[in-house]
Amino acid sequence: MAKRFLALVGLLAASFSAAEDLCEARPDASRIAVAGGSITEILYFLGAEAQIVGVDTTSTFPSAAREFPSIGYVRNLSAEGLLSISPKLVLGEEDMGPPNVVAQIAKTGMPIISIPEVRSAIGILDKVRCVAAILGLSQRADALIAEQLISLVDELATPRLHAQPSPRIALLLDTNGGSLVAAGQDTAGNGIIEMAGARNMFSNFSGWKPVSVEAILNGAPEFVVVSTMSSRGDASTPPHLRASPLGDRLIAMDAMVLLGFGPRTLGAALQLARTFRGLEVQNAANRE
Amino acid sequence: MRPCGTIRILLAGATTCIALVALSMGAVELSLMEILWGGESGLEGVILFEIRAPRVLLAGFSGAVLAVAGAALQGLFRNPLAEPGLIGVSSGAALGAISMIVLGPSIALSATFATYALPVSAMIGACLVTIFLYAFSVRFGHFGMVTILLVGIAINALAAVGIGIFQYVSDDGALRSLTFWMMGSFGRATWDTLLPAAALMVAGVLPIFSLMRGLDLLQLGEAEAFHLGLDVGRLKRRVIFCSAAAVGASVAISGIVGFVGLVVPHLVRLVLGASHAHVLPASAMLGASLTILADLLARTLFAPAEIPVSLVTSAVGAPFFLWLIARGRPN
Repeated sequence: MAKRFLALVGLLAASFSAAEDLCEARPDASRIAVAGGSITEILYFLGAEAQIVGVDTTSTFPSAAREFPSIGYVRNLSAEGLLSISPKLVLGEEDMGPPNVVAQIAKTGMPIISIPEVRSAIGILDKVRCVAAILGLSQRADALIAEQLISLVDELATPRLHAQPSPRIALLLDTNGGSLVAAGQDTAGNGIIEMAGARNMFSNFSGWKPVSVEAILNGAPEFVVVSTMSSRGDASTPPHLRASPLGDRLIAMDAMVLLGFGPRTLGAALQLARTFRGLEVQNAANRE
Repeated sequence: MRPCGTIRILLAGATTCIALVALSMGAVELSLMEILWGGESGLEGVILFEIRAPRVLLAGFSGAVLAVAGAALQGLFRNPLAEPGLIGVSSGAALGAISMIVLGPSIALSATFATYALPVSAMIGACLVTIFLYAFSVRFGHFGMVTILLVGIAINALAAVGIGIFQYVSDDGALRSLTFWMMGSFGRATWDTLLPAAALMVAGVLPIFSLMRGLDLLQLGEAEAFHLGLDVGRLKRRVIFCSAAAVGASVAISGIVGFVGLVVPHLVRLVLGASHAHVLPASAMLGASLTILADLLARTLFAPAEIPVSLVTSAVGAPFFLWLIARGRPN
């Protein structure tokens, strides 16, 4: 038993040191190509946007980030295209790809790092710290976190904030009038529901799956959160849900705020938690 | 004969030129001459030799294979609409590929095998589908052309069900990988994956060239060809299995690239006539050069981002096919 425990500790230590290796200062971070909206957001948060030379198509916040050359979609990068903007460093989300292209880029000697993502409040802080460490901005990051983010994390952790018993929530993707797609286990959607102190109604499957309106109504969620693209606001909530008894329990939120797991996601979780508790008027949510 | 020879030389020249242009153009600006003559080994050398060269070669091989397989199948079925996708090879390969994309992460694979896992499973998918097509058509339809076509359609539908099931159970990441895989790209080419795939493509396509005479005879009709001494069954088996192997290898590494196999042979017949001795070699060269060109557009139009190559080939190929139809039938 003790042996097994020791082995476990060893394993944990090993995985930690691996993460440490990833998040250590790089010699040259003067020109960064970013593959992932939350990483771009973090670079702006750290005031390091001057080092960005290109971003992927999910990097839509802040809107100034859209001005950079586009390196394509985070999961469909082009090796040569990325190298053509001559970055000194490539930072990406965990899911950047395709794998062969990432391997091709690494083969040219270009440092290419995927920032680990853990979908929790602490995970977001770790992500910020990791990016900061790579850029050699750890001190600035600690100051900014202490100033802007810690209070959000602390508030999220107060039991008083959360409605008891924890509410059942369904989180849907805005599919533009198509079928409804809900977040199951192991999704960013599940992560934010748990951060907001609620339970995911669709915890019986994993990944994103299409669901019927009936299944949602039958599950009687207390709120339905809809992740929306752009600023279509409430208009983007599914029309058949708007007409249903759940119509006044729909919360629309920008997808990258809600599911990006950058610094803004902390605020989104807090806002959701307050709404669930009835502390805040619903649908004030959709903001850039 | 003579104009045909000239055209062949012109085509070979054009293919070489296009390949060289494709090698020297891209998102990164580099000078081909400087690297080749100056022995440059910096980042530009790596980009040329490790990224661009395997990619151009893969595009060339795939284009040639798709066009030759398309020409041979059109000849075999005596149907201008036949193409590799029709006998279910492409969707079989797609089914193999998606099963690896979805199930792969849960099977622990050694790093060396992981590089080949996707192409190998796509290849297996293509082979299984072809064997099934053959066995079923022989058992229930005496391997007749119509049966083969109908079974091909059914196989495509079945493969679509399989793909749909995998899409349903796959997670977000796998789903997006799949979407881009289905749209085709030569950007995944590395020497490790290119060489075995290219060997298979060549091994599949070369025997087809020895079947030119048989394919010509077959144009007279199946019974007539038989009475002229052609072993029709053997010809069918060979064309189908060789195209399946070659196309399977191509689809396995580059995904589905549409319309090359359909349009290129028509384009060639338009100029050279229907004799397979002319159509097959010319299709190979035209297919290679057009596909290299399409890939060049795919990776430079929106650089530094790139678009799936099938968008380019289909966007050009589909309207062209419509034009062919309109041209053949006035009013």
